[in-house]
Amino acid sequence: MKITFNRTKYLLIGLCTCSLLIQTGCWSKDEIEELSIYVGVALDQAKETKLEAKLGKLAVNANDRKLLSVTLQIVNKQSEEKGGNSAGDPATKAYLNVSETGDSIIDMIRQLSTRMERPAIGHHLKVIVINEQLARHKSMYQLLDFFLRDNDIRPNCVVMMSSGLAKHTLEAKGNSIVPAFRLMGMLENRYRTLKIMPRMTLYKLEKHMHAESSYMLQNVVAAEGEVKLSGAAVIKGKTQKFRGLLNEEELLGVILLSGEAEGGIIKCVNEKTNEMIAYELKAMNSEIYTSVDGDNVSFDVKMKSEGRIIEDWSENSGPIDDAYRAGVEQSVEREIMRLAKQGLDKIQKEYKADVVGFGTRLSIEQPKLWQKVKKNWDQAFSRIPITYSVELTITETGTEKSQ
Amino acid sequence: MNDNLLENLSLIQEKTKYYSDVVVRPFALGDSGKAGAIIFVNGLADRELIDQHILKALMSIHVDQASITKNYIKNQVLSVSQLTEASSIDEFIPKVLLGSTALVIDGFSEALVIGTAKVKSRNIEEPISEALVRGPRAGFNETLSDNTALLRRHGENASLAFMSIQVGERAKKDLIIAYIMDIADPDLVEEVRRRVLKIDIDNVMESGYVEQLIEDNYLSPFPQVQSTERPDRVIAALMEGRVAILLDGTPFALIAPVTFSMLLQSPEDYYERWMAGTLLRLLRFFAALISLLTPAMYVSFISFHPGLIPTKLAISIVGARVGVPFTSLVEALIMEVAIEILREAGLRLPKPIGPAMGIVGGLIIGEAAVQAGIVSPILVIVVAITAISSFAIPQYSAGISLRMLRFVPMFCAAAFGMYGVILFFLMLCAHVVKLKSFGVPYASPAVPYRLSDWKDFFFRMPMFMMKQRPEMLHTKNQKRKRN
Repeated sequence: MKITFNRTKYLLIGLCTCSLLIQTGCWSKDEIEELSIYVGVALDQAKETKLEAKLGKLAVNANDRKLLSVTLQIVNKQSEEKGGNSAGDPATKAYLNVSETGDSIIDMIRQLSTRMERPAIGHHLKVIVINEQLARHKSMYQLLDFFLRDNDIRPNCVVMMSSGLAKHTLEAKGNSIVPAFRLMGMLENRYRTLKIMPRMTLYKLEKHMHAESSYMLQNVVAAEGEVKLSGAAVIKGKTQKFRGLLNEEELLGVILLSGEAEGGIIKCVNEKTNEMIAYELKAMNSEIYTSVDGDNVSFDVKMKSEGRIIEDWSENSGPIDDAYRAGVEQSVEREIMRLAKQGLDKIQKEYKADVVGFGTRLSIEQPKLWQKVKKNWDQAFSRIPITYSVELTITETGTEKSQ
Repeated sequence: MNDNLLENLSLIQEKTKYYSDVVVRPFALGDSGKAGAIIFVNGLADRELIDQHILKALMSIHVDQASITKNYIKNQVLSVSQLTEASSIDEFIPKVLLGSTALVIDGFSEALVIGTAKVKSRNIEEPISEALVRGPRAGFNETLSDNTALLRRHGENASLAFMSIQVGERAKKDLIIAYIMDIADPDLVEEVRRRVLKIDIDNVMESGYVEQLIEDNYLSPFPQVQSTERPDRVIAALMEGRVAILLDGTPFALIAPVTFSMLLQSPEDYYERWMAGTLLRLLRFFAALISLLTPAMYVSFISFHPGLIPTKLAISIVGARVGVPFTSLVEALIMEVAIEILREAGLRLPKPIGPAMGIVGGLIIGEAAVQAGIVSPILVIVVAITAISSFAIPQYSAGISLRMLRFVPMFCAAAFGMYGVILFFLMLCAHVVKLKSFGVPYASPAVPYRLSDWKDFFFRMPMFMMKQRPEMLHTKNQKRKRN
């Protein structure tokens, strides 16, 4: 086969090749070990660390406004390598936290390049922890703008709230722990307990931000290098600012109302025996029914759950028969109702923030009505009567004391 | 030639004075008083045959001189099957040089040429380059007649045709084009014949010469003719409607036309049950991709896209690479070239040393290079996977193509990251799609799309479903079954 090349053909091939080469590719060549991978970010109110203050004194500083402090958690490769080789605790920590205080988040991250030899990259950012006091004054629009804009950072990065100093949640006692990974791992435990809410990622959050709807962020507290997921922070839709905390019980109530429970324990007192009894929730869902009468809207929430009895402290509960079952079901149902009331009262009456998603339901069922109320939805929501009921099925009672 | 023996002999002596291996043996024809001589090449001609059936018979003639005629000798004395006449010395000398024995007798103006060629041929052994677990343990050898016999012996098939052509200007060699008359496309056979006839070279060493002289595109990295040592493979190809070329002096037969998918197929795909065959075939396609792209992916991930590596892996890669002084491209090149050298060295080494070399090379150099901080352990894994994958390709020549090609995307990756790798892959695909082997598109049946041929492409469908021969070959008889 003879290929005849003439000048036009050469020119065409040349042009095609060139045009391929000038396409936007990835020109940013940087060997991976020349980069600092940051996996966690903590946003706090402005407070310079001692080191920063010292450096600030010595440096010729262009006076930035001190609006907030950013702490980056960078994975420390040297120790990670050692950690991989030996089973024991390595000598140095697996991570490195660096803080910077200023007014622009990206500027502070870039400033770190003047302090470290390796530039920080955000491809592997897993978690952003925001201090609650900071979020009270600064809206999520402002705080998360950079993270949403930057195309390196993945939108599945999780956002959390801390009622203490956010940077403390990124600290750990042991040397083998990377605190950002620990936080992520803890969120995986949702199937074990009802006290952890579904992860709020950047892309879900962005949706709420644009819809101006209220939502919750997982609250995390830290002390002495240990962390605990505890309750949730409520962000108001309109302002996108922190409104208040839900304690663990209130969060539990809200999770049950929204039907987002994956699994966990509900403990209550068995009304017959007056002893503690624990119900393990295996599956649940909830449905919101909207009924409209003129301009009056009301909601009815039907919760359904299946589960088993996992612990019973009563010594003489008698045989496990239908009566026993019904008794337990009733006790647990009553407890769920109590929890739901507690949670609903808090979000509806006190915070006036629809974090369960009644608004979404209304917008689906009554789109015209929704157009009218959506501007001031959180206010309207606080006045809407909501009823709820629960239907519980105990599918098994465990191996103990079987019939 | 005249009828005087002595004159003839001196003429022969004159003609063969530069052939030290030509033996001229004069003798008397029994007690008849006539004399003769045989001329043969030492080593090529069968000594036993000459002694027992020619010399012995001729020397024990008991008839009178007058009754010794050419026909008498031919019909009553020489008990050999292959016998021709030659009227001039120049006519029989080439034959003698190939192993025949010329018999000149006083008073005859023609020489008798007796076929005494004895070729020492290797036994039919299992082919080394294409070993199988299941399948016939027979491979071609260096003798053309043995090879054609292997094909004939496969089964009674009156339509198996052998077309003989001589190639090479100075050293003329026999070449046989084999095909099945009522299956193969006559245009294809004609095209192969035409290309073989066009071979214009003084010497054809091996079928590789033929391959390179008849292929479509000499610039392509891919082999456009399949070479094989296995008779079963050749027969299967013939039955599909392909054409085979066998050359004297080499165990490697050529099959044309070839498609890319054939290079990743093994006869075992058909001998094992279809599920195993399909899975193994898919595995080989996967291995081909790995051997082509893994080092390039490594380079582009490390140098351009740290975000595409799972976080924990990224961290451990960083930890492993922290002491490595080279960029990922240089690092990968060092190891890839090293492994190619090892492989090449392993091939050339005497058999007992080969495996030891492999261990030294693979284990010790890899381990030591990591210890010394020249390369990262991740790269050693990448290189090892690449090497192993390239061994999984059943055709040696296809393996070489991929081994060679994989260096190109590495440079593309170092320049443009993943984008470069994708560009490379696109260009490679464009090339493969455009390439043809004897008129059959190289990428078929994918491009051009022929659904019915997909039964024997990525998948190997159960036997009962493969009722048709490949459509791409335009065979005379499409059906494989009687009905």
